[in-house]
Amino acid sequence: MSAPYRPLSLLAELTYRCNLQCPYCYNPLDLRAYRRELDAATWCRVLDEAADLGVLQVHFSGGEPTLRPEECVALVRRARERGMYSNLITQGTFLTDDLLDRLLDAGLDHIQISVQAPHAELADQIAGARVHQRKIEALTRVARRPVALTLNCVLHRHNIDQVEDVIALAERVGVRRVELANAQLYGWAYRNRLALLPTREQVERARDRVREAARRLAGRMEITHVLADYYEPYPKPCMNGWGQMFLTVAPDGRVFPCPAAAAITTLRFESVTEKPLAWIWHESESFNAYRGVGWMPEPCRSCERREVDWGGCRCQAFLLTGDAGLTDPACSKSPLHALVTRITEAITAAPQPAELIPRRM
Amino acid sequence: MRTPALAAGVRFRRAADGSAVLLIPEGVVSLNGSAAAVLELVDGRRTVGEIAEDLTRRYEADPAQMQADVAELLAQMSSKMWVVWAPENERQP
Repeated sequence: MSAPYRPLSLLAELTYRCNLQCPYCYNPLDLRAYRRELDAATWCRVLDEAADLGVLQVHFSGGEPTLRPEECVALVRRARERGMYSNLITQGTFLTDDLLDRLLDAGLDHIQISVQAPHAELADQIAGARVHQRKIEALTRVARRPVALTLNCVLHRHNIDQVEDVIALAERVGVRRVELANAQLYGWAYRNRLALLPTREQVERARDRVREAARRLAGRMEITHVLADYYEPYPKPCMNGWGQMFLTVAPDGRVFPCPAAAAITTLRFESVTEKPLAWIWHESESFNAYRGVGWMPEPCRSCERREVDWGGCRCQAFLLTGDAGLTDPACSKSPLHALVTRITEAITAAPQPAELIPRRM
Repeated sequence: MRTPALAAGVRFRRAADGSAVLLIPEGVVSLNGSAAAVLELVDGRRTVGEIAEDLTRRYEADPAQMQADVAELLAQMSSKMWVVWAPENERQP
């Protein structure tokens, strides 16, 4: 039954350490629990096992992956040797010319650099450090190199009104791919949800502006806009279905079907330090728990969108209801949809957003 | 005649079973047989005409039709920014 599933993509979280304190981080709250990190040799074995399983793309992320620069270079090289495409997801503050040279020499295909806002004052406030200018310099340097580059900006109540300026910044530094992603409410972001979630009016205005910019820049810039699922009629098809295409290996070696799944305390997640990756993917209880459509309750079970949305996100269902096996309450058909509308209504009614809690170890 | 090249961060990959994909930033695009046949020949040196000639020979196709099909596919790939046009002066003999 598990035979047809094949992972295409691996998220390799090299560390949860980070020099920034973005309150929208989806990393888990108990960051200290992840201090013991897999060593380079173990990560190389994980990449080999992933390639054998059929993985085609590796995303190196964290935390901030370039806090382990030697591992980044070695693992990008190993990914390339095994024919896998490599993405580096970084905030860019440690991306020196020397590191860049070594990463490109190792075969890095794509770099995604995040900015917190288009202008330094707000950006540095969100990051909790004076780093915006260094990020712009990193973007400018990478844009001149033979590597794909994406500028990413996580959107929330405090910066979503500046989407046009983010796009203008990308044009100015010569970036051809932009990802504008509404904060996904997991980990620290879930904790900060009342401070982060934009109002419906903000979301709709941003959508119109991004659409207009995408039209104007067609063929010159590719703009991806990840919407806020709390305001959408249907939930996001998280990971294109639990355990169907995607796996995450956390810094401690535990393997998750979704980067936010550590929050689901009702499941036990296996580690690459104890079990082969292939066994975890095919056989483990955690990866099979919500695979396919067999686990679905109503209204998913009889829904014509069950293989479009895959029931939405298991982690979000758990965070909002305490049961990862229920329909994602972000879905307007969920009997518990009020758990979401209660939040969006509170956001719209509140004159001031709640205070932001910075991400800290 | 223009010379197509895969954009930075775009890679063609054919699996052992013959299926082919384009690996792009944060994504995998499945390719049908004809798209794969064209993209496999895109190397930044062959022109559109040379690629079409090669495929015409291989598949014993109508040359004019093949020329048009290859040009159209590459134009589509270019609008998605997966294929770029190499400057004439960078062409190798």
